[in-house]
Amino acid sequence: MPTKTATQEFLKGLWEENPIFRQILGMCPTLAVTNAVINGLAMGLATSFVLVFSSFLISLIKKLIPSQVRIASYIVVIASFVTIADRVLAAYFWDISKALGPYVPLIVVNCNILGRAEAFASKNKVGRSVMDALGVSAGFILALLVLSSIREVLGSGTFLGYRVLGSWFEPWTIMVLPAGGFITLGILMAISIQLERKRKER
Amino acid sequence: MSLSSRMVAVLTSIGLLSGGFLVTVGFVTKERIAFNKKMEIERAILTVVPGASGGRIVYEEKDFTVYAGQDKAGQLAGFAVYTSGAGFQDKIVLMLGLDAALSRINGLAILDQKETPGLGARITDEGSFLVYWEGRDFSRPLSLRKPPAPSPESLSASEVNTVTGATISSQAVLGIVNSAREKLLKLNQEGKLSLEGDNAN
Repeated sequence: MPTKTATQEFLKGLWEENPIFRQILGMCPTLAVTNAVINGLAMGLATSFVLVFSSFLISLIKKLIPSQVRIASYIVVIASFVTIADRVLAAYFWDISKALGPYVPLIVVNCNILGRAEAFASKNKVGRSVMDALGVSAGFILALLVLSSIREVLGSGTFLGYRVLGSWFEPWTIMVLPAGGFITLGILMAISIQLERKRKER
Repeated sequence: MSLSSRMVAVLTSIGLLSGGFLVTVGFVTKERIAFNKKMEIERAILTVVPGASGGRIVYEEKDFTVYAGQDKAGQLAGFAVYTSGAGFQDKIVLMLGLDAALSRINGLAILDQKETPGLGARITDEGSFLVYWEGRDFSRPLSLRKPPAPSPESLSASEVNTVTGATISSQAVLGIVNSAREKLLKLNQEGKLSLEGDNAN
């Protein structure tokens, strides 16, 4: 494997290894909570918090953990950070916590996080693992923002709760329903594959 | 140290550390979360009981709480009932506001629901649904008007509107309100809703 600089570790998460469009990981929260921009953003930030801190900690203690129990150890670490995120949201961002409902506790099973722990943090130095986690987080937030912006504007005629399309616009209710999530994700994924193909040809 | 005892040691210490950490976080946030829940109910009481400046519990059982809304002078301004029932997808939790004589609905607020966005979720819509509950007669069971009437005035006193495209959710709300009505009238007959009675406790 060619060695990468820290910046490259960060940048690869945005596009080359974008968790949603390239790796297709963590689809459950992606589809479930992107019906409004604020929910997508909150989910993105909560997931990033868990991802960065668990990558940091796992990379720090990787030598202490016997490989037979590594997955169990990673899950305990991840679940702890998820519980912190859940409690803090409920305490200080009540409305967002209510809107996200069970999806915050479900960050535990977001395969992105365990995926990064297993594929990267358990094999790399702390600094590099944090850069990698930050990059993947940024890629995840970016993808959720694109998805939720499209769905909220078309599905409710609003952006972050503010009306952006006039009263002439009849909201496409399907866009805020699960089906709209699949349709939007499918189209975005097709576009990203096309872009990637063009990039490789060059 | 053998491998198996090392595995036990590592997992135990990770578990203990994480447990200890979470207890701290839970302890720090507990009060604030309880406060958020209380504020939400307080706000709902003030919305559905006009003239109230606060409320306190006069009757409580599982998923059914009656609050007495009091004005600034401590007089009874009306009752607010926190109740819930099955909706189309999940529980609908609502706050029903009544006048002091339990004869009229003053307002209705939906506190929690997971109905279909754009369809059933329109039961949270002020203009097309909730406004039609204000001023309804509470001495008889309520019924739904379908197709919906164009304005609150064109409904009879014990009728409420159905939301177009959300018949099931509208019926669910109606069912919750009507069963709360029966419970309330029974409690009232038994004299369990008076402010004074509660003071004695």
